[in-house]
Amino acid sequence: MEQTNLSVKFFSRDGFRRKSWYFLFFLCCSFTTFGQQVISGTVKDDQGIPIGGASVQEKNTSNGAVTDFDGNFRITVQSETSVLVVSYMGFKTTETEVGSQTTINVVLQEDLQKLDEVVLIGYGSQKRADVTSAVASVKSEDFIQGNVKDAAQLIQGKVAGLTISTPSGDPTSGSQVKLRGISSLSGGTAPLVLVDGVPGSLNTVAPEDIESIDVLKDGSATAIYGTRGTNGVIIITTKSGGYNMKPTIEYNGYASLSTIARELDFMNASDLRRRWEEGYTFVGANVKDYGADTDWLDEITRNAYSQVHNLTFRGGNESTSLTASLNYRDIEGIFLKSDNRKYTGRVNVAHSMFDNKLKTTVGFIVSEQVYNALGDGTSFNPYIYRQALIRNPTEPVKNPDGTWMERDEYFYDNPVAYIMETLGENRERNVRFDFSSSYKINDNFTAKALYARRGNSEIRGFYQTKNHVSTVKYSQGGFASRGADNYINNYGQLTLDYNQSFGKHKVTALVGYNYEDEMNEGFWANNSNFPTDGFTYNNIGTGKWLEEGRAGMGSYKNSNKLIAFFSRVTYNFDDRYLLMASLRREGSSRFGANNKWGYFPGVSAGWRIHEESFMDSFTWLDNLKLRAGFGVTGINAGSNYQSLSGLTYSDYFLYNGEWIRQLVPNRNANPNLKWEKKEEVNFGLDYGFLDGRISGTVDYYSRRTKNSLHNYSVPTPPYFYNQMSANVAEIKNSGLEILLTAIPVKTDNFQWTANLTYSTNSNEIASLSNAEFQLTNDFFDTGYASEPIQVSTHRVQEGQPIGNFFGWKSVDITDDGIWLIETRNGDIVPSTEATSEDRQVMGNGLPKSYFSWNNTVQYKNWDFNVNIRGAFGYQILNFPRMYYENPTVDYNTLNSAYNKIYGKVVLNDVQRLVSYYVEDGDFLKLDNVTIGYTLPKSTLKFVENFRIYATGLNLATITGYKGIDPEVDTDGLDPGIDERDKYPSTRTFSLGINLTF
Amino acid sequence: MKFFVKYTKIKKTGIWMLTIVSVLVLTGCTNLDEEVFSEVTEDTFVPAESDIIALMASTYTPLRFVMDWQGYFDLQEESADIIVTPTRPNGWDDGGVYKRMHWHKWDNLQWQPTNTWRSCFRGINSINRVILQVESGLIPVDEQQSAEIITEMRALRALYYSMLLDTHGNVPIITDYGEELPVQNTRKEVFDFVEAELLEVVPSLTDSVATISYGRMTKYAAYHTLARIYLNAEIYTGTPQWEKCINACDAIINDGKFSLASSYKDIFATQNDKNPEMVFAIPYDAIYAGQWTAHMKMLLPGHRNVFNMEAQPWGGSSCNPQFIDSYEEGDNRLQDTWLMGDQRNINSGNVVMTLTKEMPSLEFCEATQGFRCGKYEIEEGATGALSNDFPFYRYTDVLMMKAECLLRMGRSEEAAQIVSEIRMRSFDNPEDAVVTGAELEGDTTMEYGTLDTEGNIDEPGDQSPVQYGRFLDELGWEFACEARRRTDLIRFGVFQTKNWYNHKPQGDHTVLFPIGLEELNTNANLKQNTGY
Repeated sequence: MEQTNLSVKFFSRDGFRRKSWYFLFFLCCSFTTFGQQVISGTVKDDQGIPIGGASVQEKNTSNGAVTDFDGNFRITVQSETSVLVVSYMGFKTTETEVGSQTTINVVLQEDLQKLDEVVLIGYGSQKRADVTSAVASVKSEDFIQGNVKDAAQLIQGKVAGLTISTPSGDPTSGSQVKLRGISSLSGGTAPLVLVDGVPGSLNTVAPEDIESIDVLKDGSATAIYGTRGTNGVIIITTKSGGYNMKPTIEYNGYASLSTIARELDFMNASDLRRRWEEGYTFVGANVKDYGADTDWLDEITRNAYSQVHNLTFRGGNESTSLTASLNYRDIEGIFLKSDNRKYTGRVNVAHSMFDNKLKTTVGFIVSEQVYNALGDGTSFNPYIYRQALIRNPTEPVKNPDGTWMERDEYFYDNPVAYIMETLGENRERNVRFDFSSSYKINDNFTAKALYARRGNSEIRGFYQTKNHVSTVKYSQGGFASRGADNYINNYGQLTLDYNQSFGKHKVTALVGYNYEDEMNEGFWANNSNFPTDGFTYNNIGTGKWLEEGRAGMGSYKNSNKLIAFFSRVTYNFDDRYLLMASLRREGSSRFGANNKWGYFPGVSAGWRIHEESFMDSFTWLDNLKLRAGFGVTGINAGSNYQSLSGLTYSDYFLYNGEWIRQLVPNRNANPNLKWEKKEEVNFGLDYGFLDGRISGTVDYYSRRTKNSLHNYSVPTPPYFYNQMSANVAEIKNSGLEILLTAIPVKTDNFQWTANLTYSTNSNEIASLSNAEFQLTNDFFDTGYASEPIQVSTHRVQEGQPIGNFFGWKSVDITDDGIWLIETRNGDIVPSTEATSEDRQVMGNGLPKSYFSWNNTVQYKNWDFNVNIRGAFGYQILNFPRMYYENPTVDYNTLNSAYNKIYGKVVLNDVQRLVSYYVEDGDFLKLDNVTIGYTLPKSTLKFVENFRIYATGLNLATITGYKGIDPEVDTDGLDPGIDERDKYPSTRTFSLGINLTF
Repeated sequence: MKFFVKYTKIKKTGIWMLTIVSVLVLTGCTNLDEEVFSEVTEDTFVPAESDIIALMASTYTPLRFVMDWQGYFDLQEESADIIVTPTRPNGWDDGGVYKRMHWHKWDNLQWQPTNTWRSCFRGINSINRVILQVESGLIPVDEQQSAEIITEMRALRALYYSMLLDTHGNVPIITDYGEELPVQNTRKEVFDFVEAELLEVVPSLTDSVATISYGRMTKYAAYHTLARIYLNAEIYTGTPQWEKCINACDAIINDGKFSLASSYKDIFATQNDKNPEMVFAIPYDAIYAGQWTAHMKMLLPGHRNVFNMEAQPWGGSSCNPQFIDSYEEGDNRLQDTWLMGDQRNINSGNVVMTLTKEMPSLEFCEATQGFRCGKYEIEEGATGALSNDFPFYRYTDVLMMKAECLLRMGRSEEAAQIVSEIRMRSFDNPEDAVVTGAELEGDTTMEYGTLDTEGNIDEPGDQSPVQYGRFLDELGWEFACEARRRTDLIRFGVFQTKNWYNHKPQGDHTVLFPIGLEELNTNANLKQNTGY
């Protein structure tokens, strides 16, 4: 009673000045007034290793202590009937009645069920047992090891329904992440990534610096993030120090070797000479024998060596904890000059005072990334790879006079010269500052404020020398380009947490406010005709094109805001019935004046069946929970100002002998632009048997996206442009996700853990029209096969799934080598007579199901990891074959171009989008194999832990697909295309060390 | 009691939180107005007087699609009997787009008609917008200026409609900048609209032929448009209007502001803006208005060394050998229009490549097969965009339109006199330049029929004489590669009846292009043209 009154007064108007007095009073109370019995002891695990940071709590009171790093604690309890509750994450909680003991030693058993494990659920956390929505959590010990690209690759194949692929081997490119299929036409599939509670990216912190990754999957869980919850939320928690934590230094490092996973079988010099001998004649690239024998791909590729080093310093006393980490990555790509170097430093200080009531953290993350630019502003230029493939293998790299060998063919440039005569660098700096403070008002209320400011600045330089084709062929006299971009983001958050128990009722509640703004600005310039190559891009004013009016220049700036109010209530009755409800009201500056705000509710319930008394006889059952949830999430408009009638000055018009810029609308403004909303229902089952030896979850979801944002075709007139951003389409997705974790073998020395995930997704466009935007036809075409094929590749149609390839169905070939096409009504016509009306669906590029199987075996000090994953039920449009498996073209081709089609004749048709090049993509990959050895503790003094390991990534693939890698780009509305210029994926071997002092 | 206290506590804390939240709300932390930086918004923009030109500019710039990639040039030439783009070793199949143009088997996805539709309606839309802005007083202009702008805009709108009248025929007539879905009109209605609009504005249009009116709608550009629609009136409406065409031509001729250029080549020079023939030009500029890319599609990569270009052309389109064979001996327009034979390095004089007349098949030609259009001057250092202005209406055309009407009205000698006068500059021997009325009334010298891979006619097709065919030849020699051959072929009845190169006639409906798929898809009021 007394305490309660104090709290009330504390928040009375004139209470603030007196607050420090009250705190002192509290402190005194806890040390003197109630002291009746002092207990001390240690907390250890079943191996006898002390557990630091474990919580020792006197049951049903707020009185508690924390063990130090040797596992020791000391607590003063009220009476002999008091019960000590000892808990630590990952271990089963124990309760011990004090009785007359003054020393209590507690041994905690590892909790295989992990029901007490804390799961992050957005603006807070929950015990796994209490979770009512589809949430997954992966800890660092289960991460993929070795040369990973970003945080997402750490959990590749670990979370059912979360598809992570790494189609590109470019060291600057990241993974593609997709949760529960494609729910949006143009909103993409990128999830919201939170790094220690602040929106960020998969690259904000180094992968080696991450402690755990939580994934919120269904709408009822992500609704509290409203606007960006549609594609799920990935919550990254970094390694951090704790209070009373023993100081440690952790070193993680590895060195890797990457090679091209598979090469396309193009004609080499002897293959080509054999063709000539067989009587083939060619024009263009292969017109004649230039006498040399050049392996062009070999000329531009290398064995790529990379190294990564990470140091983490952690520790803390009872009032302050500190984390500092340094990370250095030096990644080489398999192509010359393709690389990525990154330096990251992070400091986080947590501070606790007023009897742990006021907790404050201040953190900085600073990183710098540098990589070679072989394209203007981009990393590796894929055009170079194409040139190496299509080049005549009898051509030498250089002429006898030492100059690069170049010829006047159409889009045909020496790839080695392209690399060597290009100099470029992109340098990017990221800074994040965050400050958060929470105040525990009393046992029931905690208020928290968070502010983070993020900045990103990039500067680019690019130069093509006078020996580059830009001069050799186009007489530019050198080409230089510079650019800079800057990004600033402010993020603020205020929350008030409430939690209380009333007998068997437990209630928590949360209200909060969220503010975020961001601003992008940039500048670029280019120039040509330089007096010397000596300046490269560093003296751009010396080029003559500026004076000649041929130089380029530009700048831009834009901003947007997101503001939200949110609340959440959870209710738990007797640990049997669980309920969670949340509501977010969010506004975006990007929408029309009357549509800026939207409501995003979420509700979910859980029933822990095994806690019911009628289940008591099922002793083998540890956990059985049914879950059901419904939530609404949103997608923000893809770009700023789409609802505004903007004007801009663009193309020139000759007026009275002078060129004047025209003033035109920027876009078809849509003042009715509003939130795209996705409604989702989720049914789930959590299960666990046999003392945690078998456990897992099953989830079924059904999603319906309404008012899907997209640039729809509109008639001109009345509209000014023929596309307009609007809310029209409806999309349906549904699927099943299964997670099964089993520990088939567990002895003192040997443990095998197997983890299986399986997920399905089916997708359908429900509608492409609404009252305002009517399509006379129920489809639109998208995707593109570029020159010289120049047709669209995909059709998006009502009643059909996203990802349908749409082209001509090849069934046979004429004696002259011309494709025979089957029309929609079954007629067979030569391809030369087939029309656009003869196109039909030729397959679908989105996998119907994904499977993964992770195995961890521990034998004494050895650990062994095998990760197998696959995707099934989809097709790939094999662009390399479509463009290069054709002997009539002007360039070097695949050897398979001379194979007889359907066993009849060699192709003598132009390159065409025919079903012959659509292949099944199904694959099973042996993706990650790791073997590690941890040195016995006794061998090295001062060393807490020392492990060495070897690991391989992308080791073997079982597939019928003929291209380099069946794991192709599946983003967007044109998934399943294996682009001919795709940076080939790599196979990587690494050797690494984990060392903790 | 206990519960009550707790409730009070919740309430008090709640109030405390509410206070914070309301402070936030009141202090504007819920303000979601958009802030613009690198654009202006229509609501806040106050046009200055200098912006009047900028606003009007948007009505003319769409015209530059004429020589742009897959633009009006391709629409008018690829479908006719002079320009052919066969598949070549470096590509040029492009989904069969050029073959379909040559075969007249275009579909509703065909780029060239779609681009024509969109560019013209972009212009029409901009015009209606400017008219609305002037009439509503949004642009600060006085009454006289206002009248001038509206007159010019209406004339330009009629010009865009005259193009659509020819290509798609049944298009919606739109005269306001509204939100209603346009309703389709018939070709006859479009013809009447263009005629009525031009007749109404012609008296108030400027008759100045000077820098200020260059590239803009003048009285003469309006008369020329009128003459064009009258010349083709029989196709558009079923009723010939030869007399009216002559009157419109005479309105230009009698004012004497234009004359024949003494040199044929000068009309197409890089600096051709002062040419006396320019009735209406579309100005291009390599730096300011770089949409002229048509030359890149015709020249070969090796022409970089022939003209010392700062670009490497792409090498697709070339000339139907049948057309080359039709030229008369001594007609300099052959070498003034086509690049033939040895192509020499501008510096060394060495042969870079040799262009041959033969083009074995639409399905496959070598890079150097087929003569290339060299009519438009390629200056040294030319890039992927030319600075030549496109002579959309030139004086020779005025004279030729008049001559054709005279010929068709039975006054063939008067016609021959005009034609001979035009030919004078292109023949070294003046006697060769003279043609007679009887000659002009004769059949074409072009040998129609499809060609086999050896260049011999394998399927002659319709061999009936072309009425005034010799005059059609004259139009071909004079106006080859000027984005008009299709219209001429239709008027002379050749387009939908004759075989040429790898082309066979596909029916009368081909004189109009289909309306694009996307246009039909988004506007249910539109009905596809007959036959598609």
